[in-house]
Amino acid sequence: MKFDVIIIGGGWAGRSVADRLALAGMKVCIVSEGLSLAVAGNNAPYSHLAALQQRGVTVLRGDRAIKGIITGSKATGVITRNLGKDTVLKADVFVLATGKFFSRGLLSDMNHIWEPVFGADVSYDADRTKWADSEFFAHQPFMDFGVLTDEAGHVLAGGNSVVNLYAAGEILSAGSKEFDIDSFIEEYEHRIG
Amino acid sequence: MSTGSVNLEQCLKCNLCTLVCPMMEVNPDYPGPKKAGPDGERYRLKDPAFFDYALKYCLNCKRCEVACPSDVHIGDMIQSARIKYGSQAKKKGLRGLRDWTLASTDLVGTVSSPVAPLVNGVLGTRPVKAVMDAVLAVDKHRTFPKYSRQKFVSWFRKQDQSAFDRFVTYFHGCYVNYNYPDLGKDFVRLMNAAGYGVHLLNKEKCCGVALMSNGFADKARKQGTVNLDSMRKAVSAGEQVLTTSSTCTFTMRDEYPDVLGLDNSEIRDSLMLATKWLYTKLSAGEIHLNFRKDFKMKVVYHTACHMQKMGWQIYSIALLQMIPGLDLTVLDQNCCGIAGTFGFKKENYGYSQAIGSKLFADVEDSGADIVATDCETCKWQIEMSTGKTVLNPVEILAKAVEF
Repeated sequence: MKFDVIIIGGGWAGRSVADRLALAGMKVCIVSEGLSLAVAGNNAPYSHLAALQQRGVTVLRGDRAIKGIITGSKATGVITRNLGKDTVLKADVFVLATGKFFSRGLLSDMNHIWEPVFGADVSYDADRTKWADSEFFAHQPFMDFGVLTDEAGHVLAGGNSVVNLYAAGEILSAGSKEFDIDSFIEEYEHRIG
Repeated sequence: MSTGSVNLEQCLKCNLCTLVCPMMEVNPDYPGPKKAGPDGERYRLKDPAFFDYALKYCLNCKRCEVACPSDVHIGDMIQSARIKYGSQAKKKGLRGLRDWTLASTDLVGTVSSPVAPLVNGVLGTRPVKAVMDAVLAVDKHRTFPKYSRQKFVSWFRKQDQSAFDRFVTYFHGCYVNYNYPDLGKDFVRLMNAAGYGVHLLNKEKCCGVALMSNGFADKARKQGTVNLDSMRKAVSAGEQVLTTSSTCTFTMRDEYPDVLGLDNSEIRDSLMLATKWLYTKLSAGEIHLNFRKDFKMKVVYHTACHMQKMGWQIYSIALLQMIPGLDLTVLDQNCCGIAGTFGFKKENYGYSQAIGSKLFADVEDSGADIVATDCETCKWQIEMSTGKTVLNPVEILAKAVEF
């Protein structure tokens, strides 16, 4: 299955991107593992996804991206738990919006932090003792950890830019550049005339 | 061995599952997925006496699991608890007989098929419905699916498949075999048109979903073992096992390991709905079907709950969208309320119809000629409650293809 854009993560960040891109006329797929707690309100988490679906977005509810495929400097596909390895979801552009630790956008053990879908580069302090400040209300260093991008917002993997992979929302490290929806849509509209 | 309780500690008590539970909305006696699942499990592990008999209201629709942000196996936990602790509540007397009859799809089908016109006629009459309602507590509003005089397997045995050099194996399920062979016939015609011959499993038993929900887990496990043995043979011969029922598929792929503790790892990836197989092969250009040019149909697609749990509606939808002349609308996912044998029971009929009301209204408002869905019990429920004809996407495809 082929889309213009695949968004991985159905929280605020992923939904906002999906909504804007679908309105602009793009063929969009969003992988939403469960409903998002970040989307507050009683019915909102469910009705938002239903509204996206009505707008023509392919919503994979309760599904999880288990592997992103990178070929050379480009992301080429995503495999999900439910659809299985014989269905590679393809797209021109991918957006990682899987959030930080709670939503498992970032995984960690005692000494490492990693991004499990594309294996994107993650910034974190090599010294484990510096991850958290014992002063509860202080600025917590781990909240700055996250996926790294180049100046154009391309996500880095193995130190190289993946030129069609972007990140949105909490998954970004402090100082990295978020997916620029406005200029992306502008470019798209220019391209299709 | 049940894996139901493994991840109860992942539950954050956020209640998103409660929000999407269709039973919770209509029945205040049901504690809801959070309380019945991870909360209750904590108590049950301490003392089985904490088992709450209101868990019988769980439809096992798995909408809670689709909604859970922490991937807690809420539905599995409830289903496992019913099997583990609920057996003492096994109903005696006539209601027990009713549950056993509703669950024994294979046996009742085998007995009914040879005398199908008689059974269909008798089950459809008002006095019989009234007696079944009063004595067996099978709700009188229900229409029983009609039994077919010729079983699907009897028809299939007369079909020559020897001209093909590649094959798929078909798990037809009870509904196709005893009630609705036309769907199976359409499946065989489509596979043949795509250049594939069809084999049946060495031995096929009911998938066991009705046995599990009616408290006969041991029997379900036995039948599951027979099915898995046969599927291993088919898969090791290089054939994929295709189905036309979303619930049978879901049961054998997910409930076998998660609830019954049966290992299906060797065959799980090779067991799939025909719509997934057809879409994948058609879109890759590996098979070809000739579509009729004069085909016109306005269809609404209803995503069955177990279909949503597997996430495979996208294949059925994409397959329907490939058909020239088919105008498709996808309905918002809502439960139809029947949940297999649940809705046939007198004590559940009211809940069943209340849960389905949103879907029925959507179907009525859609103005479609045909409702498409991959689940046969959704079909019975929607046909009874809306008067619209409901077809499996495989049947619609067969109508649109030039043979």
